[in-house]
Amino acid sequence: MINNLLKLFVNEFLLMMKGSVFTFVIYSLLLISSSIFALSLRHISFGIEIPIAFLWIMIFFITLIKVEKVYSTDFSESKLQQYNLSPFALELIIFIKNMMIYINLTVMFFIFSPLVLLILNIPFSYFLSINLLLALSLLSIVFISSITASITISKNNRLSITSVLTFPLFVPILIFSMALTDIVDLELNKMYLFFVAYFLLNLAFSPLLTSFALKRLSN
Amino acid sequence: MIKINNLSFARGNSLILNNISFQAGPGDILVLKGANGKGKTTLLSNITNFLEPLEGEILYQGQKVESHMASEFFLYIGEDNFAYDNLSLKENIEYWLAIHNVTFSQDVRDKSIKYLFGEINLDKKFYQLSFGQKKKLQLLLLMLVNKPVWILDDPFNGLDKQSIEKITTLISKKAENKGIILLSSHQDIEINEHKTVNLK
Repeated sequence: MINNLLKLFVNEFLLMMKGSVFTFVIYSLLLISSSIFALSLRHISFGIEIPIAFLWIMIFFITLIKVEKVYSTDFSESKLQQYNLSPFALELIIFIKNMMIYINLTVMFFIFSPLVLLILNIPFSYFLSINLLLALSLLSIVFISSITASITISKNNRLSITSVLTFPLFVPILIFSMALTDIVDLELNKMYLFFVAYFLLNLAFSPLLTSFALKRLSN
Repeated sequence: MIKINNLSFARGNSLILNNISFQAGPGDILVLKGANGKGKTTLLSNITNFLEPLEGEILYQGQKVESHMASEFFLYIGEDNFAYDNLSLKENIEYWLAIHNVTFSQDVRDKSIKYLFGEINLDKKFYQLSFGQKKKLQLLLLMLVNKPVWILDDPFNGLDKQSIEKITTLISKKAENKGIILLSSHQDIEINEHKTVNLK
């Protein structure tokens, strides 16, 4: 069982690597939108809060798109039936897939971030703190997005609108991210712990809710 | 023994299955027949616990089928393909065997692949395969995943005559070894001694 669980991690990593082209494309769109944003506001002077808020909103949408894409292919009815009959709990498979999406998005952002910071005119002294902050908040964003995606892709379209109900769960992440960007230094601030705590909370509920939505809303 | 008692299933306001009852014991091959839209796939999905019936119950060895029981005893091969398009044939085999928690020696795996596919390049991407070859990947699980109940939804669809014979042999051998086989098919099947349930 352990051996096959490890194989599952490796296989999901392989799948994630093959899906990286899509992540690359959506991050390229981030570059384009950042350029448009920076060019359109070139005559207005403002601090770094606005570009960072823009960056976070874009990352939020990128995550939603990526998770939605992965879920619509990886949890099609025929695959879901096999996952349901697997000795591994569906919640575990969801957790592994979410972690792979998280790694994919975080690594890709790390690669793209110098260029994004340059376009948005954010000082390079923020490079590490923004990456760290994003790495922490993305964990929760991915897990909440998985609930949203599982409701949206369910066959029972009448309930798709309920995916909007998950949006308030993103608000604390955005608020705390904004508050944290005021802190320039890299000293581990206690506010960082919020993201860890919020992720743990999501870790407890998100795979259960996602699996429930995938199984039951498909009827 | 698998027993279906007064099973009904509705989707929205339309009743798809109404009061279906039958049973199959070890060594039985049960073929579900019926025109398109009569609920064959829906019935099989109910049995695997993928869909929840409106009324009635599904019992296996006297116990109500829950998800943990379904995953322990049932192997389901549906009509639609479950493999990943961007993985190769070999990677797909590895992936789905890991999902079903199956470990085999390379030798056994190669023999099973050869039995179904003949000579084939395992590094071929899944989307490069023909419809029949894609179907065979699903059916390969029948040889490598050992579960007592096989639930097969139109397993012969898209297969050539030679492959149909091979699958029929596998089904007959499973029945000889006291397995239970429930299958739906649009074609007339040449399997000896099977029961038929007609869905009207």
